[in-house]
Amino acid sequence: MTHQWYSFWRGRNKAAGLVARIVMMIFVIYFLLVALGIGFFMKQFIQQFFPGQNVITIFNGAILYYFMVMFLARIQLQELPTISVQPYLTLNISRKTIVNFLNGKSLFTFFNLLPLFLFLPFIFSTISGTSGTLTAIAYAVTIISLMLFNHFLALYLKRKSANSIFFILIGVVIVLALAALDYFKIISISEVSDALFSSLATYPYLALVFTALMVVVYVANSRYLRSNLYVEELSKKESAKVATDYPFFNRFGKVGELAALELKLILRNKRSRTSIIMSFVFVLYGFLFYKPTLIENNSFAQMMFAAIFMTGIFQIAYGQFMFAWQSSHFDGLMANKIDSTSFIKAKFLLFTIAATLVTMLTLFYGFMSWKLVLMHVAVYLYNIGFGSVIVLYFANYNKKRLDLTKGGSFNWQGVGATQWILGLPLIALPFLIYAPFGANDKPFWGLIAVALFGLITLAMRDIWVRLLTKLFIKQRYKIAEGFRE
Amino acid sequence: MLIEIKELKKVYSQRTVVNIPHLEIDNGETIGLVGNNGAGKTTMFRMLLDLIRADHGAIFSKGINVAESDQWKSYTGSYLDEGYLVEYLTPEEYFEFIGSLNNLSRQNVKERLQPFVEIFNGEVLNKGKYIRDLSKGNKNKVGIAGAMLINPELLVLDEPFANLDPTTQIRLKNLVRDHKGRETTTLISSHDLNHVTEVCDRIILLEKGEIIKDFKTNEDTLKELEFYFSA
Repeated sequence: MTHQWYSFWRGRNKAAGLVARIVMMIFVIYFLLVALGIGFFMKQFIQQFFPGQNVITIFNGAILYYFMVMFLARIQLQELPTISVQPYLTLNISRKTIVNFLNGKSLFTFFNLLPLFLFLPFIFSTISGTSGTLTAIAYAVTIISLMLFNHFLALYLKRKSANSIFFILIGVVIVLALAALDYFKIISISEVSDALFSSLATYPYLALVFTALMVVVYVANSRYLRSNLYVEELSKKESAKVATDYPFFNRFGKVGELAALELKLILRNKRSRTSIIMSFVFVLYGFLFYKPTLIENNSFAQMMFAAIFMTGIFQIAYGQFMFAWQSSHFDGLMANKIDSTSFIKAKFLLFTIAATLVTMLTLFYGFMSWKLVLMHVAVYLYNIGFGSVIVLYFANYNKKRLDLTKGGSFNWQGVGATQWILGLPLIALPFLIYAPFGANDKPFWGLIAVALFGLITLAMRDIWVRLLTKLFIKQRYKIAEGFRE
Repeated sequence: MLIEIKELKKVYSQRTVVNIPHLEIDNGETIGLVGNNGAGKTTMFRMLLDLIRADHGAIFSKGINVAESDQWKSYTGSYLDEGYLVEYLTPEEYFEFIGSLNNLSRQNVKERLQPFVEIFNGEVLNKGKYIRDLSKGNKNKVGIAGAMLINPELLVLDEPFANLDPTTQIRLKNLVRDHKGRETTTLISSHDLNHVTEVCDRIILLEKGEIIKDFKTNEDTLKELEFYFSA
């Protein structure tokens, strides 16, 4: 199967692919090093977080949780290795070989490396020290078996049922519920996990049970694949699509029509959907930044970054590829009866609605302090007032085509320099406005200044629309040409 | 006179792809654009639809430069390639979207799709599929229907017969002919000389961006063209 190798090296966008891959590699290596570090110092970490408790008990308790969470992550992120086999199906290669190849190839993923780096150092340093080499080996076998069990089960489920977000949400709820039950000491998964793994210490051969489980799933997966090795069936089953209508947008006329079109774009394509789901995750970002002492001292400067990010996440995540989302039908939009002003206005409308929704969502930080609400509203005004203008300005210089149907996580297609430059002014500007007030110990005046700036720029929207339209008309040939490639 | 092309030139990396000193197209004409690959047909269409900028010269539609005003959009229907289709919509939504851009009510859109029901052959409407899941031929049909939906005064189709089955090709030809009666100017490019000579009353032959021949069709046209292309 050297062809796989060719397909990478001879691919059309080799250079871009290569750079993206190197960047990915660096990330992966970084994560693995972190994992390795955690693995080696796990004993110390556990002692620090849970002082006075048995290190091994805690470790044992955590293992099942780890695999449950990883399982969910796999279902969402792990790719099915399918499409590439199509040309080989008719050649003289036995089905078994193809299936084995598919299964083997799927093994090379980040998810399978992580546990090795995370757990093995701990097992061989701490566990073999306390309960002997044989137990350590049993642990290692169990971990690897569980990992592979997870791996093939995730693939199996993904093949059987179309991957649905609904499914994952249920999974997340279950894990959270189990954790809650654990916390209130009703049913304890960590005790189950602990009991399971400590019995390993007494009967090391129990490890083989997990291996057997893994083999069962592997065989089930291979069987299923072998009997369903048709390209049509390997790809996901399609449900009937219905035409939908968003009456809310009708009141905005043609602009609303375009905004509704774009909303459908977001909801019906894999890549845009992933980036939106990711942005909801960022709503929790504040918990990292908002510290009681910062709130106490009104040090908004340190917290504003998170606020800009959260209330503007849609603009940043979705807006960075602005216009490129529509690259596949850009010609059609241009040749139809759409004037550039409505086109730009529709983008503004979409940004405003999204920012409003997300901001409302982030208001729950108000439970931490009312000051945060104030800050969020100020930054929200900035985001819809001026942030959106910056995003749309840079959109005019983004000429890279984007394929909507490809997955979004770790997808580097369409990423260029503009995306990186975009973030700078967007985030730096509110700081600059706030800074003089903050330095002179007038934090609330600073927030008011940011909010005022937002309001003024919002009131100037018509001017921005006109300027952006002019720029768009000038740039449109270049954009269209870039998208056609 | 509907379209006037003046001194039109487009150069890609020192290769002239389109070079048309002068061309006039009258109301109600049906024009076939023929030529081998790379003759500049699609490029000319793209300039006519203001999708690429002309390096020199201009195209005037009803006397207005297409690059300077959007007015032509309200009476021009066009379909060049899949770059026109909003792939994540169902065909119904796509037609409604185009309709709404031209202030057509939903009912209106439905009525105007009637002539296409035969061509769609039950494979396009109400199938619960997004456009991206349709076959190439069906995508092509959606695009052509979308272009004709607004009853345009100027209809521009690039290779409309490609990817269509024989039955549909004949039905489409009839449709274009019916359209003729309604004061529509139609521009069609095609590799299929038979179809073009049958449907069009004027043929323009392009080679390397230049107009080689420009004449009204008669019985001998097909032979003439075949002779030219076999030479």
